[in-house]
Amino acid sequence: MTMALDASISGIIITDNTQQDNPIIYCNKAFEKITGYSRKEIIGHNCRFLQAQDRSQKERSILSRCIAEGVECRVEIRNYKKNGDLFWNELYMSPVKNANGEVTHFIGVQNDVTARKNAEHDLRQQKLMMEKRIEERTNELRESEAFLSSIIETVREGLLVLDPNFNVLSANNHFLRTFKVSKEETVGRQLYDLGNHQWDIPKLRDLLVKILPTNNPVVDFEVEHDFPHIGKKLMLLNAYRVEFEGQYKDQILLAIEDITERREVEIRKDDFLSIASHELRTPLTTIKGYVQLLDRAMPQNASEKFLSTFGKVSVYVERLNSLISELLDVSRIQSGNMELHMARFDFDNMITEAIEGMRTTVPGHQIILSGQTGAKVVADESHIAQVVSNLLSNAIKYAPDSEKIEVNIANVSDYVKVSVKDFGLGMSAEDRKKVFERFYRGVEIQKKFPGMGIGLYICDQIIKRHNGTLWVESEIGKGSIFSFTLPKAGKETNG
Amino acid sequence: MDKKKIMICDDDEGIIDVLEMILDEVGHTVISVNDSLKVLAAIDREQPDLLILDLWMPRLSGQEVLKHLRKHSAHHQLKVIVISASRDGEQIANDAGANQFIAKPFDLNNILDSVNALLN
Repeated sequence: MTMALDASISGIIITDNTQQDNPIIYCNKAFEKITGYSRKEIIGHNCRFLQAQDRSQKERSILSRCIAEGVECRVEIRNYKKNGDLFWNELYMSPVKNANGEVTHFIGVQNDVTARKNAEHDLRQQKLMMEKRIEERTNELRESEAFLSSIIETVREGLLVLDPNFNVLSANNHFLRTFKVSKEETVGRQLYDLGNHQWDIPKLRDLLVKILPTNNPVVDFEVEHDFPHIGKKLMLLNAYRVEFEGQYKDQILLAIEDITERREVEIRKDDFLSIASHELRTPLTTIKGYVQLLDRAMPQNASEKFLSTFGKVSVYVERLNSLISELLDVSRIQSGNMELHMARFDFDNMITEAIEGMRTTVPGHQIILSGQTGAKVVADESHIAQVVSNLLSNAIKYAPDSEKIEVNIANVSDYVKVSVKDFGLGMSAEDRKKVFERFYRGVEIQKKFPGMGIGLYICDQIIKRHNGTLWVESEIGKGSIFSFTLPKAGKETNG
Repeated sequence: MDKKKIMICDDDEGIIDVLEMILDEVGHTVISVNDSLKVLAAIDREQPDLLILDLWMPRLSGQEVLKHLRKHSAHHQLKVIVISASRDGEQIANDAGANQFIAKPFDLNNILDSVNALLN
């Protein structure tokens, strides 16, 4: 019997209920092992030594009550080993009764469930943490949803979310306002069915059916449509099909910007500038005419001073004229309305003409042309000539003490390249970086030379529009080299 | 150079004045019209050898005047130089059937060269 009990992995003790203070009268090997006490330290003691100083556990009162009532019980109680280590004791206590039904002994079966207890504790902790985290995440999600929806409702752009069959899943307020519809008549309906089929626009179908599947996302897709009630609208559409896996996959986001008014304003601005430049040029034409008439009637004995002063008038009339042209150019570039009339022309010839034109204006300077391309280039000849003239006149303007300007032209791969080299002031690294910016003027330049800082900006834009590049190499005091490349095979404009 | 009759149609008095002075100086007879509505009648009356025509004018534009001349009038052969400060002037002038386009502000020598070239 004792051997059998010793073989158990549960600690087993027997207490004698008939003696004072319920002493332990038996313990097995496992009990010694669990508690770390040896048999001689156990026998004769009350079980409570296992609780050390931890006496206020509620399980203790359960045990006391069961002992008093002589009934069995099962508790999990904190006990302490001999070395002071805590262990969780799963204690099963059951009374042994004599023939008269009186409790004589208690048998206690103990299991060290610390590992399980710890695991349970960890689990509870983790569950708590998890719940807390879920709550946090839910709050974050709710907040970010609220934040997102406030963004969506704040943007001044119509936004639609479509399912893969183009049914409207949601529409923001701006969309509803712009197209004067209610949420009820929009959400849940097929896009093309909206508002009596007013959204059944061939170009929109093209975008959604033909273009978007292979070109996701589509940006700045222009659609013009005459809506029955709100009139003609010019819209810029951005479309994006959700590609990442999940509940939103294959939904389509459609952003609709109404640019009707913006385009009207642009056109009006262009019109205004055209009219303004026309009106400014009219008196300028008269002034230039009178100056030329006076020149023709110049008395033989006019003084040097008179002649040179008179000469300056023409120069400034020309400057005023080119300023008017430049302003118009800048406005057109900014509204994206710079039209290129692409046609084939003899490149070397254009260069020669531009240089000749400059030579007659400033006979004092020596412009040396080297190289030839023999190229027939497809580009906007007048714009390219404008760039060349601008580079030449800059070379002259910013190299007042030097009379030599070198122009080199060459074939480079499928480009022609033009370099204009002066031996003038040169510029700092700072200036080199910004020289192509609109209204930028070099610090030193600003002091000595008049101008608005748009010439090179226009040149740069013109060359960019032709898919070429314009750049500068320069050193202060030595001069500058402005170069540009231009693809020979531009796309010809039809008609 | 032969003395020719040249008509100027422009709504700007300054430009008319300048052109009159230079053309007169080289010996031509100049008739000026500052109201484009009256130019067609003036052409019928004066039978000029050449018309110098502005584009942007109130009431009737130079483009309309020129189209009318080219299509309906007995003067569809009349030599016309279009002068304009408008950006798309050259395109409009060519489309409407001008013999020559000169941008404003013009060079008087250009005007004289073109006049000579067209009259000879």
